[in-house]
Amino acid sequence: MQKSWKRLAIDTATKYVYLSLVLNDKEVDSVYEEGLNNHSVTIIPHLVRMLERQQWKLTDINEVIVGVGPGSYTGVRIAVTIAKMIGYLNNIKINRISSIALIASSVSSGTVLSCIDARRGNAFLGLFENTKTKLTRKTQDSLINIESYLTDLEVKPIVTYEGRPNIEKIIHSDLLEVVSDPTALIPNYMQITEAERNKCLR
Amino acid sequence: MIVMGVETSCDETSVSLVEDGKRVLANEVLSQIDIHKEYGGVVPEIASREHVKGIVFVFDQAMKKANINYKDIDLIAVTAGPGLIGSLLIGINAAKVISLNYGIPIIGIQHIAGHIYANNIEHDMEFPLLALVVSGGHTELVLMESHYDFQKLGETQDDAVGEAYDKVARILGLPYPGGPQVDKLAQQGKDTFSFPRPMLDSGDFNFSFSGLKSKVINTYHNLNQRKATISTPDFCRSFQEAVTDVLVKKTNDAMNLHNVKQVIVAGGVAANQGLREKMRQTITDVPVYFPSIKYCTDNAAMIAVAGYFKYKKEQKADDYLLNGFSRLELK
Ligand SMILES: [Zn+2]
Repeated sequence: MQKSWKRLAIDTATKYVYLSLVLNDKEVDSVYEEGLNNHSVTIIPHLVRMLERQQWKLTDINEVIVGVGPGSYTGVRIAVTIAKMIGYLNNIKINRISSIALIASSVSSGTVLSCIDARRGNAFLGLFENTKTKLTRKTQDSLINIESYLTDLEVKPIVTYEGRPNIEKIIHSDLLEVVSDPTALIPNYMQITEAERNKCLR
Repeated sequence: MIVMGVETSCDETSVSLVEDGKRVLANEVLSQIDIHKEYGGVVPEIASREHVKGIVFVFDQAMKKANINYKDIDLIAVTAGPGLIGSLLIGINAAKVISLNYGIPIIGIQHIAGHIYANNIEHDMEFPLLALVVSGGHTELVLMESHYDFQKLGETQDDAVGEAYDKVARILGLPYPGGPQVDKLAQQGKDTFSFPRPMLDSGDFNFSFSGLKSKVINTYHNLNQRKATISTPDFCRSFQEAVTDVLVKKTNDAMNLHNVKQVIVAGGVAANQGLREKMRQTITDVPVYFPSIKYCTDNAAMIAVAGYFKYKKEQKADDYLLNGFSRLELK
């Protein structure tokens, strides 16, 4: 690793737009803002202002961390598209992370059930264990009815749907996955499309 | 001046590099037709997923084909609408990243302007000109007195031509996309059904195809119920004659009224052979131009050409708040 290693983290899989700049494992700037369904318009302006504040150029970035969902909203595709393009243009490493893990990192300690609403009582969720410095995964992300999931659970976790990610904790976790081929990176939709489902039923 | 074009408004992921609004250095198109075929039409969520999957690949292919560096690009032109919003935003954000990474100005382009400007690749535009825009989403007559000056003379009041073609193809059981199939079969048939020519003598430059479409569909169902044999080629030919009669007459009337120097036909339906022949037979006073087939269907080269002329005229780029719009007027 170089003397000053610059990372950009980006996630638009929830109703919040999240951007973070990290210099040598320390977060130096971030944006965590509730969007009015307009992430896809505001994300690059946010990125530009943040880079300007730190006097970084996009080409200075050494590594990208991108939230890949789960989910199938337009938002989840925007962060992935941007991350792919930055990775490809500058030939730098991309790490993918579950957007649910990003949410879980916002809680300071305890057992956390981190969720992204999937409507009709369902959620994309995952169970995590949090300490001040460490985040570990207890279950794989899944799409499930939240009520029945909680009833079946022996522990009573902290349930959260939002929260400013703690990127330093994420970096020190083993939850990041290196993307070997940025060209092929896609979001974790977790579900086939309705059209594909209907086709199978036909 | 080298312009990069980016087009993701529907089911083609396309990136192009065009020099001075004319010389195409690369025009890569990743088509999703085979995927959407199974559903009989474009499925928006699937289209968006395919755009994300293919986007970097298409940029990379276009750059390799053109054999230039990103630093050589002077302007990025990206389709801003109309189109599928989830698809548009992928092209727009990818284009913004390139713009930011290399400090290249970016400009949003209206898709129909792109279709019109596709013509400039093979034939220099001369003004005033009349453009007939015909596609799955559009049917309009546009007068241009100079570059990037669009005056809409008339448009469809309901269905677009391409839409009517697709519906007729569907009842005939022809595979998607149906338009080219109807055109092909029509070549072998005769106009035996004498379908109505809607709004032929309305005295304006508007169109209507939903009545014709219903008439065609009803005729088919009635014949089917009576178990009559239907000649598909004759049926296609009759429908095509009705449609092209209206398109050609209105174009001819508009041409005479406005004294134009050339007529251009743009959009996916400009690939229609029946329309091409009738247009060429009827309009003989001024040249009638059609883009080659690869520039009729959605492609990014046309967006780059439009971007070149828009930027040349307005001398100003867009900022990073550039947005995508499912509906966007030609301006
Ligand atoms: Zn089009």
